[in-house]
Amino acid sequence: MNKTTITTDEVKRLAGLSALEFTEEELEAFVPEFERIVELVDEVKNCDIGNSELKYTTHKLCGCREDEAKESLPQEEILLNSPKTKKGSFCVPKMLD
Amino acid sequence: MKIDELSLIELAEKISKQELTSFEVTKFYIDKCNEHSDLFALLEIFEDSLDRAKEMDEKIKAGFKGKLAGVPVVIKDNILYKGKKASCSSKFLENYVAQYNSTVVQKMLDEGAVIFARANMDEFAMGSSTENSAFGVTKNALDPTRVPGGSSGGSACAVGAGLTPVALGTDTGGSIRQPSSYNGVVGIKPTYGRVSRYGVVAFASSIEQVGPITKNVKDNAYMLEVLAGNSIHDETSLKEEVPNYLSYIKGDISKLRVGVLKEIDEAVKGLEVEKSYKNAIKFLKENGAEIVVTSIPSFNLTLPCYYIIAPAEATSNLGRFDGVKYSRRSKDAKDVDEIYFKSRSEGFGKEVKRRIMLGNFVLSSGYFDAYYNKAKKLQQKLIEEGKKAFATCDVIVLPTTAGEAFKIGAKDGDPVSMYKEDLFTIMANILGVPAISIPFGKGPNGLPLGLQIVADRLNEGTIYNVADFIESKGGEYARL
Amino acid sequence: MQDYDIVIGLEVHSELKTNSKVFCSCKNQFGQEPNTNCCPVCVGLPGALPVLNKKAVELVIKAGLTMDCEINDIAVFERKNYFYPDLAKAYQISQLVKPICVGGHIDLENKTVRLNRIHLEEDAGKLVHSTAAIGTLIDYNRGGVPLMELVTEPDISSADEAVEFLTKLRQRLIYAGVAECKMEQGGMRCDVNISVKKRGSLELGERTEMKNLNSFKSVYRAINYEANRQIEVLKNGGKIVQETRKWDDNHNRSISMRKKETSSDYRYFPDPDMLAVEIPREDVEALRKTLPLMPEELKARYISEYGLSEYESEILTRENHLSDYFNKTISFYNNPKEVYNWILTEILSRIESSENISISPENLAKLLKLVENKEVTRTNAKEMLSRIMENGEEIEALIKEYGGGVDETALKALVENIVTSNPKAVEDYKTSDTPEKVFRWFTGQVMKETKGKANASKAEEFIRELLNK
Repeated sequence: MNKTTITTDEVKRLAGLSALEFTEEELEAFVPEFERIVELVDEVKNCDIGNSELKYTTHKLCGCREDEAKESLPQEEILLNSPKTKKGSFCVPKMLD
Repeated sequence: MKIDELSLIELAEKISKQELTSFEVTKFYIDKCNEHSDLFALLEIFEDSLDRAKEMDEKIKAGFKGKLAGVPVVIKDNILYKGKKASCSSKFLENYVAQYNSTVVQKMLDEGAVIFARANMDEFAMGSSTENSAFGVTKNALDPTRVPGGSSGGSACAVGAGLTPVALGTDTGGSIRQPSSYNGVVGIKPTYGRVSRYGVVAFASSIEQVGPITKNVKDNAYMLEVLAGNSIHDETSLKEEVPNYLSYIKGDISKLRVGVLKEIDEAVKGLEVEKSYKNAIKFLKENGAEIVVTSIPSFNLTLPCYYIIAPAEATSNLGRFDGVKYSRRSKDAKDVDEIYFKSRSEGFGKEVKRRIMLGNFVLSSGYFDAYYNKAKKLQQKLIEEGKKAFATCDVIVLPTTAGEAFKIGAKDGDPVSMYKEDLFTIMANILGVPAISIPFGKGPNGLPLGLQIVADRLNEGTIYNVADFIESKGGEYARL
Repeated sequence: MQDYDIVIGLEVHSELKTNSKVFCSCKNQFGQEPNTNCCPVCVGLPGALPVLNKKAVELVIKAGLTMDCEINDIAVFERKNYFYPDLAKAYQISQLVKPICVGGHIDLENKTVRLNRIHLEEDAGKLVHSTAAIGTLIDYNRGGVPLMELVTEPDISSADEAVEFLTKLRQRLIYAGVAECKMEQGGMRCDVNISVKKRGSLELGERTEMKNLNSFKSVYRAINYEANRQIEVLKNGGKIVQETRKWDDNHNRSISMRKKETSSDYRYFPDPDMLAVEIPREDVEALRKTLPLMPEELKARYISEYGLSEYESEILTRENHLSDYFNKTISFYNNPKEVYNWILTEILSRIESSENISISPENLAKLLKLVENKEVTRTNAKEMLSRIMENGEEIEALIKEYGGGVDETALKALVENIVTSNPKAVEDYKTSDTPEKVFRWFTGQVMKETKGKANASKAEEFIRELLNK
């Protein structure tokens, strides 16, 4: 069994992908805890399942939705929960092009 | 006659026959919920519920017929009901108001239901104790020092404490069955795709299902018939006709082949549940069922398999909570990146962050094949093993949990031990097959234990027949 | 430049011509008020699920068939995960391991460009970068519009070839009814991957990518600029850095974009909300039967069957609307050369786009028949055409006005009158060495009197009758 080691840098990389911030303190607690969780899932990494192709659950093309346009929601409904809107649009601080 | 002594089916019948009004029934339950607010099963009682109840009474007078005409229902806080909040017990969605109805809510409304409250849960359905709610811990219906289980802890507690005749939960790895077991009620996770997930906030799309939590098996069968069925908004919902599940309940199990798993024999040794599990098998045998020893050889890998697939899907499903389009946006965010990082860091609780990180770990480049892809192939292998097992038997029985509900705080700071709460329930999610938990036996503190009955895909009817048989005739053993 | 080879691969995105979006039933429609073509799916509301549009898959299959692609038996949809405000769900539903089409090629004048794949994905919303006070505005109307992405092999070696490739691709997509490729609306966008290497060297250079070029001109200029830039860097002993560069059309230059390292790990995995799509062979064959002739095939037919020149055929097949118009017109009036001439001289000068030609093929055919039967003169027919196309007048009214407007008895009387009141001319006709000239003078008189409305062949008949008495 090869154990996966988790470095602080690795956790930082994952935090970047996750759009999450961790303080140094939080990181310190998080890394060993995360390592224990990875140890759990390593059982899958280390198990032997032989060679198999992944199969997909499918449906037939003819069963897919017909191309008919239907009414959309009213603009005010769409924007209902938005933290900030302007001119009928969702709004964020100006981004660089 | 006390209203909360009536079953869901009896209640529906009495309201339909106008022997009871929806108003008085709804009011009764709302009052009872308020009385028991210390359980913290519910996050909100919808203030227009009594108006809706009155409206239903009018409709019933005018001839409206519906399976749930005037019947009060509680939904889990991750199920959308247009115009009502749905927060997933997360600070992130604290004030989120549903902009449309989920398919299950629509089906219940069409049948005349009065959806009157939303129930507490583990944040985004991640957890097994409801301690991960951002708004407070729900207590066990039978012992307030203990957890109600999770993630549908609020729903199961509400039914267990008699605060509602029925509640909806969602089950991704055991989130209906484990809390049902802890609160002494009946909960089913249907076949994957049997109930549409449209309008249910997604955690792990490929394995989760909505299901009813009820006081007894017949109520459960009655309720599932309302919830099940195809939705044009959900490709993964099944097109098969929904049967009348009650018609499967025959009061006879004499020709039934009951499978027991070799792997479970090993796993239960020394657990609180061991005795009641053995008793259940004994009871079934005594009542004419044939006990078949069968096997799902990779059973022990279901838990780690789940902790790859579920977080992978969750990390992607929760990406949409980014502070741009709805709900929480950090007040400190000065640019778009800060909106993402700060809103999410402030809005998500610890466990949610853990799973997002784990999901990104198993999906990220360099790890994808070793974890995610391997887990999907393992799932495929498990499904094959399941098929073989079900070729030898009609149902498989196994415990729902290792033991009674644990004390609030007992598993703090030990996520892996919390994950192992779902050891017996995850199999059904990974295989996509239906599984029910019914109360059976008691633990050392006299608290309820659960028995799971699992069947092959779309065989909910068989499950209900066996479950009802045990519920109505297994009393002797079930009390032990 | 001669010492270096340029290696170019293209990724071309085209919005598909469907009524509804790819994963929901909202309208696929350009130019609406912001966030009005949106539903829970478009905005990524909690609990919303994608439901695949059959037509979108069929259109990608059709596109593939026109380029000899292989159509996969199973198409899988995957999530490409990244955060960006125009991406409502924080993932784009796209295809990685099992796209709808693989392989295929488009033949250029002098080479074959191999295709790697064509897959189906969803378009993102639109960002409008306003003032700092207002901020960036997000409109999800375009979010979920079906997009096909075509990826070529790095077989292209110049800006000219790139434009030739894109022109042919665009023609095919339009002909097959797959996409409208309205460049000005962002209906077709191109990413260019480019590297250079010493001529003849087998080792590929580092490549750079320029994204979202939305005109052929930009593609052309961007390739030339970037190739030169890379060559200059190499000549000066520098190294090319693999990066995404932004093409600045206004200043005709490419600029390096700072990119975060994490942004390239998209963590693709099959979308668990969707089923994979089984594409049976018979469906593919049925779609193949619905494909119209492609421009090359039409061109060949115009040359061999209709006797048009290479150049003439080229003009007619550049736009499918025009070749459609031509085909329809000759189905009513089988004189390809004459129809071509009228289209070239009278119609093309009057229209901005061949999409809306304001005289129907039936009416053009009717007009040309009138000319052939000399019921109206060529000059009058041109006037009629002008009035139809520019004033929207009815052809039937114009026929009454210009032709058949003079009945036979009146015409006969008029001819008699003209002949009898011009005895000198009658004399000339009989004695002249060139009687036809005098004859034409008489016809001219009749036409002048009738303002050209007389049926010319009838008039000639009457005149000849009287003069030969």
